[in-house]
Amino acid sequence: MSKKIIILIIAIVAIAFSVYYFKFIDKNYQDIAKNLKVSHLIYNPDKILSSFSLIDHNGNNFNNESLKGEWTLLVFIYTHCPDVCPTELMNISLVNSKIRKNNPSLVPNVVAITFDPLRDTPEVLKTFVTHYDADFVGVSGDQNQIDQLVKDFGAYYERVVNGENGVVIVQNYEPLPSGALENGYLINHTAWIYLINPDGQIYAGFPTPHKPNDMAEDIKILIDSY
Amino acid sequence: MPMITKNIALILLFFISGNVVAVQGYVTITEPWIRSAPPNAPMLGAFMNLKNNSDKEIKLVKVHAEGFKRIEMHRTINSEGMMMMVKQEYIPIPAHELVELKPGSWHIMMINPDSVPIEGSSVMINLLFDDGSTQMVHAAVKSSKMMMHNHDTMQMNKQ
Repeated sequence: MSKKIIILIIAIVAIAFSVYYFKFIDKNYQDIAKNLKVSHLIYNPDKILSSFSLIDHNGNNFNNESLKGEWTLLVFIYTHCPDVCPTELMNISLVNSKIRKNNPSLVPNVVAITFDPLRDTPEVLKTFVTHYDADFVGVSGDQNQIDQLVKDFGAYYERVVNGENGVVIVQNYEPLPSGALENGYLINHTAWIYLINPDGQIYAGFPTPHKPNDMAEDIKILIDSY
Repeated sequence: MPMITKNIALILLFFISGNVVAVQGYVTITEPWIRSAPPNAPMLGAFMNLKNNSDKEIKLVKVHAEGFKRIEMHRTINSEGMMMMVKQEYIPIPAHELVELKPGSWHIMMINPDSVPIEGSSVMINLLFDDGSTQMVHAAVKSSKMMMHNHDTMQMNKQ
């Protein structure tokens, strides 16, 4: 065979592969997305989470490997949250109940990482998160590593600190003012619930307000089509 | 009935019954409830419906309950994806309207309970309005407004 024909064959194969990849593989995700009710498919196969080493509420190391092997629903919370976080945890519990009823093998793990490791120690988290579901796992640890993860997820938070003349907004990269612990502070924060795939990557996200029934159906589609 | 007799009767009723007693006021309070929380929860949310039966706006200006360090009024606001808890000096109830205190919206924040009340119990809450009226309600502690104990029943309701 002449060189020219070989080059032509390689070119045709390369073009065919590209067409297949961009038209059909991409179409696959489009097809999945069409059937989703409330999920945002935010998967990027090239994106991996920053390396982290935190601690779960049983005192065990919680790191990147901990998110691999199984599907996980992940949420950022803090225990001094009077409204949003309890609602999120309750909704996740409802999601899992629904999945457990119809597809018990598809029930994802649940991980709740605290924005506020200063007050939310592993012990505090254990009592708090297991109230919503005995299988939930709370995660605490180094604030800087948590902040990096918050960034990786596209999440955001700021502290609202009680002061003498009202409240002061403190950005997450700023140090807590003195007296903050005694006077108390709340946290304004984004409230997405994330689905992590068994490769430990962010796969889908659910913004608030959360609808447990729709989320459960979407999760089944997402897991089945992975 | 003479005014004084009526007042004495009201006071006696207050002490004898210990139940909901409205002292004047045009606000009807219904379905007061507190969301059940983990035993170490530092914050509880109290919710209820406030119906203003008068021709003028009435404000809820103060809330009191025994066994909490502080009680505040807040409004959860979703500002471009950021959930914010904004402290309120009062909760306004427009004339002839109903304001619903509920998760994700207006609520009463009960801070640092001496002990977190368990599901099935109730907490006495006093509310003061800017027309001088006060009301006392028993807020039932439950996991959701619809009083679900099992998740099946929750799914019967449309979201």
